[in-house]
Amino acid sequence: MSSEPLLSVRGVHRRFGTGPTLVHALRGVSFDVAAGSMVALVGRSGSGKTTLLNVIGGLDRPDTGTVHVNGTDVTALDEDGLSLLRREKVSYVFQSFGLIPVLSAAENVAAPLRLARVAPAQRERRVELLLELVGLADHARQRPTELSGGQQQRVAIARALAASPRLLLADEPTGQLDAETGLSVMALLRGVVESEGVTVLVSTHDAVMMALADRVIRIHDGHLHEQAAGQPYESTPDVG
Amino acid sequence: MNRWLTRRWPAPHWPSIRGRGRTDLGPLLLTGAVIAIVALLAGAVPALLRAAADNAVQDTVRRAGHDSNVLAHADWERDDGPNGGRVRTAGLADDIENFRARATYALGPDLDAALLPPVAVVNGPILSVSEGNVPRTFQFTYLAGDLDGPDVTWVAGNAPGPAVPDEYIEVPYDGPPWPVQVGLSEADAAALGLGPGDRIPVKDGQGHDKNVRISGIYRPADSADPAWQLAPALLEPVPGADGVGTTRFGGLLSRESLPDARLAIDEDQLRRTVHFVAEPDALTWDATAALASQVVKLKAVSGSSVREEPLRWESQLDTTLRAARARNSAASAQAAVLLVGVLTATVLVLLLAADLLVRRRTPALSAARQRGAALPDLGTELVIESTVVAVSAAAVGLALARAAAPGVHWAWAVPVVLAGAAAGPAFGTLAAARASRDRRQPANPTARRWIRATGQLRRTAVEVAVLIAAVAAFGILHQRGIVPAADDGGTGELTGDLILPISALALGALVGALVLRRLVPLGARFALRQALRSRRPLAVFGAARAATTAGRALPLLVLVSSTALASFALILGSTVTRGLADGAWDTVGADARVDVGADAEAATPALAERITAAPGVDQVVVAQVTDSARVFSESTLLAPRLVIVDTAAFQRLLATTPLPDASALARLTAPGPGDVPALVRSSRGELRAGTPLQLSRDDAPAIRLTAVGTAPSVGGAGDVVIVDVAALADAGLPAVPNTVWVTGPGAARAVSNIDVAADVVLRADVLRTQRVAPLTAGLLRLAWTAAAVLLALGLLGLMLAAAAGASERWQTLTRLRTLGLRPRDARWVAAGEVLPPVVVAAVCGPLLGALLARLTLGPLDLRLLTGQAADPAAVLPWWLLGLLSVAVLAAATAVVPVESALRRRDRLSEVLRAGE
Repeated sequence: MSSEPLLSVRGVHRRFGTGPTLVHALRGVSFDVAAGSMVALVGRSGSGKTTLLNVIGGLDRPDTGTVHVNGTDVTALDEDGLSLLRREKVSYVFQSFGLIPVLSAAENVAAPLRLARVAPAQRERRVELLLELVGLADHARQRPTELSGGQQQRVAIARALAASPRLLLADEPTGQLDAETGLSVMALLRGVVESEGVTVLVSTHDAVMMALADRVIRIHDGHLHEQAAGQPYESTPDVG
Repeated sequence: MNRWLTRRWPAPHWPSIRGRGRTDLGPLLLTGAVIAIVALLAGAVPALLRAAADNAVQDTVRRAGHDSNVLAHADWERDDGPNGGRVRTAGLADDIENFRARATYALGPDLDAALLPPVAVVNGPILSVSEGNVPRTFQFTYLAGDLDGPDVTWVAGNAPGPAVPDEYIEVPYDGPPWPVQVGLSEADAAALGLGPGDRIPVKDGQGHDKNVRISGIYRPADSADPAWQLAPALLEPVPGADGVGTTRFGGLLSRESLPDARLAIDEDQLRRTVHFVAEPDALTWDATAALASQVVKLKAVSGSSVREEPLRWESQLDTTLRAARARNSAASAQAAVLLVGVLTATVLVLLLAADLLVRRRTPALSAARQRGAALPDLGTELVIESTVVAVSAAAVGLALARAAAPGVHWAWAVPVVLAGAAAGPAFGTLAAARASRDRRQPANPTARRWIRATGQLRRTAVEVAVLIAAVAAFGILHQRGIVPAADDGGTGELTGDLILPISALALGALVGALVLRRLVPLGARFALRQALRSRRPLAVFGAARAATTAGRALPLLVLVSSTALASFALILGSTVTRGLADGAWDTVGADARVDVGADAEAATPALAERITAAPGVDQVVVAQVTDSARVFSESTLLAPRLVIVDTAAFQRLLATTPLPDASALARLTAPGPGDVPALVRSSRGELRAGTPLQLSRDDAPAIRLTAVGTAPSVGGAGDVVIVDVAALADAGLPAVPNTVWVTGPGAARAVSNIDVAADVVLRADVLRTQRVAPLTAGLLRLAWTAAAVLLALGLLGLMLAAAAGASERWQTLTRLRTLGLRPRDARWVAAGEVLPPVVVAAVCGPLLGALLARLTLGPLDLRLLTGQAADPAAVLPWWLLGLLSVAVLAAATAVVPVESALRRRDRLSEVLRAGE
């Protein structure tokens, strides 16, 4: 683990709406994440988990504060810069998979590689490797509709890893899966942290996922509270 | 307990209805606007056509002229006297009055109201004028209207008087010719060179002299009096009335000289007829069936009276009215075909609008359902909302239609209102039901395949049903056509048995669209396979989006159907327009035609020379054109149009017109086996090539003709005989040209100031008249309007389809952007999704429209409107069809930039959050 944090969030505020509908989603959030670690972001619905992930990934811009990913100030990038960031350093896994239905599993995984103009032979090798990694080598030619929910999420994870990102943001990746399938997906995420050296920031409600994480950050009403991995969710003290 | 007793009525939640209405005011107003506009069109068109039908009937009868008159003939009582001679009937004019009154009474009130006051005409036989070397004939005539005959002023001499002062006299059969006095018009008297007191040297067919003496010379008080039209020779000499080269003169009888006229000729040679001239302004479409029926009845009972001299009826009015009914029925059916097309496209657009509305509402409906709202309650709420929108919009449209047209036909708006009222609730209830259904996507692949197969089977069943209906519609269309059965008692309205054939076009468009809906996904998948082999990621993502959305049926159905139907409307309009132009060429035969009056026929060659010398004149041909020439085919007397012309010049003239070349004309100058070669044309097949013919002449042997080929159409006449002027002169009949055909850009100017008594017919004028004819103009307006409305519906469908797919499209694009796709590249991917169905519609729609035109224009009986002999071939207006395609493509290319601009402010996070 490097001493320089891969992710550095400083004083991020994010508000939505105005007047009586004003909502403070993030209130001066600051934290660092070391490279190669898996951090669980937990909190109730509406607590600001997704907003924080969006700000980190450049899908949303903070009102104030900065976000640095691998030394790049995300909040200072324009749209093309953000596109490049997502192509090279940050990738996403969503609750609803977001696969292209007419493409096979392999073609879906290859999508980021096509954007990155990776040569076909190299692209095929990489896809094969990733499908092997997520346990879907035998399902490479199947389309998403022919796969189960867990398998689709595995394809989504493989796609997120395709371009060898430094940071993987997963927004409740097990939200649409049953407990058993969710566990296998979380184990997979834990595995890619080990095997690919990627840093994972995952928002979840799942206690098992928290147990698998190196670190757990609780977000409540826009504030962060850190708790030790494996500790019960309710007894977590505020860290300010 | 009976479950009906426990079932409660749906209880709509009114605040929800109001809330949804406020939230989706835009789509609801759009739906209402579509319904209102189409209801306006569907309500006004039949009413406008009905109004045009009245004008068309009047126009047809007006054009028919004398053919639309109703004539009643009656024989005379014998005038045998007690002493073996013939009795002079002094009260013969009163007898005519009685005859006139009887005929008027027999008409019946309806027919009487549609005709002008009758004029009784008593005609003597055609007598030949025995002096002079030009064939001349003479006929004396008595005219009696409501106020006796037409007024005249006696400029010399007196009105004809009785030959004898006695009230009663009996003359022997073999006595000398009985004297009769007649009046002559100034023109007739001048042409004959006779004056009051002179005897007109006339003989009957047996060569017996007749004692006809001129009592005076008259000048008509009003030469436009319709009564004179019944005996035009009473005004001036009439050329050609009794054969080629003849001139007829007329002598006017008075009440006093009428009894002498009867004694002056054989007993059965004086004919009396009551003429009823049709009054076009009194005719309406509704009355035509009854009037035609009454005329047929009169003709059927001709001669059946036993108490009095039986009336014999003669008229072409029934045929004229039936022709007008046929044209009106054809126009109504053609309009119905276009309307069904518009309604079909509208229903599809309304389904698409309902689909969009339900996509917007699905989260709210799902939430309501999950909160416990019952499906019947939700369905009732949606039905209330959509019914209010559809019915009120239709009411507005129909009210506007009523303001724009006399009367309104609401029945045509019913399908649109039903679609508008039912589609939204049906889709919405299904969406709510799906949201609360506990059945999830099965994990078992076999079960998933079975579900997919079941859905495909349902879709295939619907497609097969549409296909079967289309095949049946086209079969019936080609077997029976679309014109309603023209029985005299029919109303002329479209009946139930016509629903399928008038729907053939719309069903054909739907089948074409369904075929494309099957082919487009195959094409999209092929394109995707090709793109996957390329190194361009945008091509892959664009093709992937296209393949993903290619299965959506409604957008493609709307786009292809509306462009195909709009193309058909454009083709129909162009075909009618071209048909009218061709019909004008057919009628005139050139850019201009000069019909020289009888008095000026000798000046025709000089006139032709002057026209030839005028600037801008290409070809000038003179001919003698005689209508109703007496031609015998074997033992049958025919009355074709005889054209005596320099055939080589005529052929050159035809070559400068769009009229078909007649290479057979060259055969007319070829030396024949003795007979004069002729080209013949017959609408009923009585004149055929190879038939020996005889051209009858007065005072000379008939000229033998041989039909050696088919004549070109001349002035739209049904029967035509063309002979070469030199060949006929060799046979002893020199021609007297009375017609000049002129072609060239300066033709109209060249004939505009001729100093010869002649009628000038310009092709441009004929075309203008035909274009403004009520039914033709109405159908053309409808065709262009339908094309515009269908194009607008197609564009609206494109916008609705784009809006319906926008949410999913931008979700996908946003996900691709999380993979690193740049914003500007996302637009290309969006275009890859939006453009394929539009390109398919822009290319295949016009082609499908052309195919449908080829399949349906024949049975549409367009010739009834264009006035052509045969149905016009479909005219493909390529530039208009191209414009249509460009308009659709241009609108599609605007969709993505507009969407991008609208979504520029949307944060990616919001788009993703909305899709979760």
